[in-house]
Formats: sequence, structure tokens, C-alpha cells
Amino acid sequence: MVKALLSILLSLLLIVGAATFEGWYVRDTFDEFSSQLQTLYRKIEEKSATRGDAEAVRTSWNEKKKSLHVWIPHNDISYIDYWLSEGLSLTETGNFDDARGKIEVLLEISRNIPAAYAFSFENIF
Amino acid sequence: MGLIFIRTAIIYAALLFILRLMGKRQIGEMQPFELVITLLIAELACIPMADTSIPLLYGIVSIVTIYLLHQIVCLFDLYCAPLKYIVSGKPSLVINKDGIDEEQLRKNSLDVSDLMESLRTAGYFSLSAVDYALYEANGSFSALPKANFEEEQTSLPILIADKGKYNKKNIEFTGMPRSFFDEMLQNNGIADVGKVLALTLDGTGKVYLQEKGKKRRIFRVPLPEEKTW
Repeated sequence: MVKALLSILLSLLLIVGAATFEGWYVRDTFDEFSSQLQTLYRKIEEKSATRGDAEAVRTSWNEKKKSLHVWIPHNDISYIDYWLSEGLSLTETGNFDDARGKIEVLLEISRNIPAAYAFSFENIF
Repeated sequence: MGLIFIRTAIIYAALLFILRLMGKRQIGEMQPFELVITLLIAELACIPMADTSIPLLYGIVSIVTIYLLHQIVCLFDLYCAPLKYIVSGKPSLVINKDGIDEEQLRKNSLDVSDLMESLRTAGYFSLSAVDYALYEANGSFSALPKANFEEEQTSLPILIADKGKYNKKNIEFTGMPRSFFDEMLQNNGIADVGKVLALTLDGTGKVYLQEKGKKRRIFRVPLPEEKTW
């Protein structure tokens, strides 16, 4: 019985620990990504965004997505990759009007993904 | 991860509940909670293994959750009798000294032909060969035979009527007219076959008759020489 209770406790601790870390990590990563996107978005609105700004966002995202693959389905990450590639290349070529729309979508996605994995009634059911 | 834990726990509980509702005929040689594990584990292991877009951690968390729930249910099974009955169910005594317990059969979604099939599988070919028979919580069948049951198993009993209806095919097999059975019922004070829970006849003329809600009757009727089997 002691062995069974210990294994229950250990499994529960592992799951709760992993769940807590996952929640915090995904939220934190997307908060950071979102703030970088907002900075880029402001610059796009002011038409002052440069190739360097776009590259900085891309590099930062590429670093983040390596560990995100462990926590969220890879399709969600690919989705961001597509929009980001479009948005950043439009920024680099100075097509700010079109780039703004793409970055808006990315901002929405980075708000939605952490919410989709958060602990809530609608996500459970 | 927390979502996967909760969702796995809900599906586990729902499957267990449904398997308990389905009764013993859906389970074979396993406790309901063991069957749930068997049903779930294979799928949980396969999906992240085959689909590379799903993080492996999702599969691992589901499997650990199933293990956790299984350990909890096993503890209940060992140390908490009331919960054990809720989770695993309890044996159903379907045949006793008075005959077939119709209520227990109904509770387990079984009928007389299912019962006879279980008896035959266990090596008893007649309803009258056993004093007690029960379906265990895991769906397996156990019976306590009468002392001399082997001597009486010389001919295959045929189910003539169950649940208040004649079985036309089986009546044809016996080669006897339906009026023969109507007359037999009337001689035993049963006006209508609708009141019969089970009526069997073997090739030596041995009859098992049980009226709904009454005790079983076992007697012999003479059969014409050429009608035996």
C-alpha cells in the first residue's frame, strides 16, 4: 500500500509540476514574443521599421520555438512561422501597409495560443 | 498538460461508467477498470508515436494519468468495499435452488439463451445440471453442479420457449407439434406461453419449466421412440 501511495503521489507531483511549468513557460514565451511584435508593429505604423528590426524578431522567434516544440503541437508553431515569414519579408521590402495586417494576425495568434492551453472550462470540454 | 490530465481523467471515468452500465456481457475475464486501461493505453501510446506534430510529452502525460487513476482504483478495490462494488461491480447469482433469477439476468442485459450458452461453455448442458450459477464481477461464468449431473447429460436440451415466446426453429428440431407443448403447459397449470420464463426439452423427455416469478419444475414426458435425439 505504501508503494502504491508513493507512486500515486509521485505521478501527481510530476503531472502538476509539468502542468504548472508548461502554463508559465508558454504564457511567458508568448508574452515576450507579443511585446516584440508590438514594438515592430509600432515601427511599421510609423513606417520606420528596418530589415534589422524584422531580423531581430525572426531570430528571437527561432530561438523560442526550439523549446516550444516540447510543449505545444507543432502545427501551431508552423502556423506562426508562415505568418511571420510573410510579415517580416513585407517589412523588409518596405511594404508597410500589407506587413501591418500580417503582424496584427500574429499578435492575435500569440494571444490565442496561450489561452488555448490555459486551464479553463471551455478548453477542458 | 493540465488540460490533458483532466481530459484523460474524464474519459477514463466516462468509459468506466459506461462499461459498468453495459453489464457483464461486455466484459470478458477482466475487471471493468482493467478493460478501460486496455482500451485507452494502446491509443494513447500510438497517437504521439505516429503523429510527429504532437509533442511526445502529451502521450506520456496521458499514460502517467492513466497509471495514476489505475493505482487509485486498485487501492479502492483492495481497501474500500463500497467503492469496490461501484467500480468493479459484484457477482450476479443468476441460477439458484429455485431456478433462474430473471431479475439478475435482466440487470446484466442477458436472456435465457445467453445463460444456456454460458452453461454449455462451462461444460453444463442443462439448466437443471446446476444448483447455483453466477456471473463474476469480471464477466466470467461460474457454476456449482449437482452431484450426479454427468449421468443426466446424455442428450442436448433444446430451448423451446423463453421470455414468453416459442422458438419455432427449436420446436421444428424436436419434431414435436406445438400443441404438444401447449398441452404440457396446460397440464402444469400454465394457460399461456407468455407466462413462461424458460422451457427446455432434451431427447430423453426431460423438461425444465420455469414460469415467470415462480420456482423451476423438472419432470419427464414420454416422447415417441422416433422423436428422441
